Amino acid sequence: MENRYRARRTAADALRLALRALLYAVVGGAALIAVATVVSVLGPVVALDLYTPAVAAWWTVFTAVVVQGVPFLLLGTVVSAALGAFVPDRVLARLLPRSPALAVPVAGAAGVVLPGCECASVPVAGSLIRRGVAPAAALAFLLSAPAINPVVLVATSIAFPGQPSMVLGRLAASLGTAVLMGWLWARFGKEAWLRPPRRPAGPGTSYGLGGFLAGLRHDFLHAGGFLVLGAGAAATFGLAVPRTVLDVFTGSAWLSVPLLALLAVVLCVCSEADAFVAASLSGFPPTARLAFMVVGPMVDLKLIALQAGTFGRAFAVRFASVTWVVAVACSAFAGWWLL
Amino acid sequence: MRRFGPSALLALTGAAVLRVSLFSELYLRYVQAGLRPYLIVSGVVLVLLAAASAVARRTEAADDGHGHAHGPAGPRVARLLTLPALALLLFPPPALGTYSAEREAAARAAQGVGTFPALPSGDPVELTLAEFSSRAIYDSGRSLAGRTVRLTGFVTRDDDGTWYVTRLLVTCCAADATTGKAEVRGVAAAGAPADGAWVTVTGTWHPEGGLGTDAAWPPVVDADRVRRTTQPANPYERP
Repeated sequence: MENRYRARRTAADALRLALRALLYAVVGGAALIAVATVVSVLGPVVALDLYTPAVAAWWTVFTAVVVQGVPFLLLGTVVSAALGAFVPDRVLARLLPRSPALAVPVAGAAGVVLPGCECASVPVAGSLIRRGVAPAAALAFLLSAPAINPVVLVATSIAFPGQPSMVLGRLAASLGTAVLMGWLWARFGKEAWLRPPRRPAGPGTSYGLGGFLAGLRHDFLHAGGFLVLGAGAAATFGLAVPRTVLDVFTGSAWLSVPLLALLAVVLCVCSEADAFVAASLSGFPPTARLAFMVVGPMVDLKLIALQAGTFGRAFAVRFASVTWVVAVACSAFAGWWLL
Repeated sequence: MRRFGPSALLALTGAAVLRVSLFSELYLRYVQAGLRPYLIVSGVVLVLLAAASAVARRTEAADDGHGHAHGPAGPRVARLLTLPALALLLFPPPALGTYSAEREAAARAAQGVGTFPALPSGDPVELTLAEFSSRAIYDSGRSLAGRTVRLTGFVTRDDDGTWYVTRLLVTCCAADATTGKAEVRGVAAAGAPADGAWVTVTGTWHPEGGLGTDAAWPPVVDADRVRRTTQPANPYERP
């Protein structure tokens, strides 16, 4: 008696569930078909009006910067998540000298080991700071890694055949800027500017494989969003500033150095390619082209967006503007000395 | 839904990267050929990471007790990733063409005047526009003299009717595109195809201007034959 009642109730439940599923499918399906019809009829009309050659070029450059950045960003976030999940704090602390004055050049020189362009170095530096490395040292690493790694130096020597002084100048000016910025931070920097890089601290998942996956997911999504922001800015400025404007300034050495340094900020060319772009700017004096290659991996729109996301806006604005000035000064000095 | 938001974003980004790198050659519109293996690896890693984090979220206790800034849906800025991902999945943006070529002043890599390695034997010899112009302007050995060359690119033209076979040169990604071009003259130059049409020009080098001077730029080709062609898989040249 009771069994039969229960069976009947289960059957009624199942029927109700099936009816509800059917209703959802019909309503949802009808809505989907309606949306698809409207989009397929109106879409091409609207799209043709909006899809001028300039807009098409914007989309191409925008997606190109993102596609180019994804592998390097992923490499950087894998390294940063692995640092966070598998390397105990005291190992990092022991690797670097205790005094910041010494730790900065060591960390700057350690930038040699991270092969990649600038997208990779921001999450790694964030992870280093989170693990208790002195910010001054981590920032020196942040600036030097994309500029002085072997891949970039080889690309530079290919782009400037028979001019080893250009490679040497790039190495010296980039390392010099990174170390100077580290020392400047150690002397004048305020912890308050630097929003401590946060990350969800799930219960008991900060170490080991679980922590690695959670960190990787969070870091990649976070940095990826800012990469998209930066790519949009790069595409917009790159198309808004025609390169023909530059021809006006090719003559004067004093104007051309800051001009190419500004161009590097706007164009956001990745550090593995900027040497070829610099080589193609043939009308400019060598020192200006050196400044283009020194500033590019350290300050550009995409990087400012990434740094603002990782360390906070107050930090990114101050840091990027001071770095720009120091980088221009260092490349002018290196150019005068070596080129 | 909120719980699986981050996984969905990762899967979407991974799928978009795999769609242009593994399942088609569309990536050549955006980046250089050498990046393909890295793109495929990144796409696979992102999809696997999405699956792993979806599984982790399912098994995770329902209470999201940790108090951090952006809630269980993950960082909010990450939603921007849907923009390029959907663009790549649904309407992959086209390769850069005449618009970019005309915006940028055509550039040539500066190099000293000198001798170049010998061209491969056999006529016509297939050259990129970058190779053709650097040999035309800087080669003191005049290796182009007496040779038939074949150049492939799209059509751009000046206001006065001169037209050029043009190709964009991309080093790393489409953001660093620069323009290379050669002026087309001669018997086959009349009745040029429309702007942006892809052509293969067969002809001989027409020396003009002194070696290494600005007057030698852009180089000129006397065309014997202009043939319409389709856009190559890789629309750009590499340095």
